[in-house]
Amino acid sequence: MSIDLKLDKTGDAVTVSVTGDIDMSSSTKMRDALAPLFQNNNKVVVVDLSGVSYIDSSGIATLVEGLQWSHNSKNKFRLAALSPGVKDVFEIARLLTVFEVFETKEQALAP
Amino acid sequence: MTQPIKLSIPGNPKYLGLIRKVLQELLDNHDVPDDTARRLILCVDEACANVIKHSYEGPCEEPIEATFTIEGNDFKVQIRDYGKQCDIGQIKPRDLKDIKPGGLGTHFMNEIMDEVSYCTNRANGTLLTMIKKLKTGLTTTQDKGDG
Repeated sequence: MSIDLKLDKTGDAVTVSVTGDIDMSSSTKMRDALAPLFQNNNKVVVVDLSGVSYIDSSGIATLVEGLQWSHNSKNKFRLAALSPGVKDVFEIARLLTVFEVFETKEQALAP
Repeated sequence: MTQPIKLSIPGNPKYLGLIRKVLQELLDNHDVPDDTARRLILCVDEACANVIKHSYEGPCEEPIEATFTIEGNDFKVQIRDYGKQCDIGQIKPRDLKDIKPGGLGTHFMNEIMDEVSYCTNRANGTLLTMIKKLKTGLTTTQDKGDG
């Protein structure tokens, strides 16, 4: 199973919209897309998860890596539009309060 | 359901979606609530991913055999592999206060399922058995403490 990734740059923010199941077979693709974004001049990196109904521990691990990259590069890293299933996995992992989480992509992009 | 449902997939991440779909269909057929079904599917997916990562040490053609049984209130899944046997004493969830990538799969299984046991008493591989009582509803993180 694969995921689709769409990058949308607006000013100094970039949004990565993910569609599909994020699991062991697809999380590497998301990691490869996210990693370079923290090396460019993107002040805000938003991951739009509205198209994701399933995420496993490898997907969560990739997003935790993104958080670490953002700390190192002093960029903001935000998650948007978590489905109930995805939010539940973050809650079980006790990570929901660790990330900046927004209801919508637009809210995540607001200064 | 007295007859177990058995599914064998190659030890390759690209087949994890297949096992999730089959289990979703089975749980739908038994009217398992969506939120419970999602969590059970997560546990099975994580168990299979661990087999690929640790027992088979990467994608391969060796089998992962999943057996699902719903009997009374109990959902039981057994995951059999034929790879490197795990050191049962080493399988434990990590400290969640340490925010770092990885190591969450075992935590998910222990947090969600009522019973998780590993059996290596065989010539090769491991048999993982996980049981969840369906009628007690979801076990919240508060119910089980910090794991």
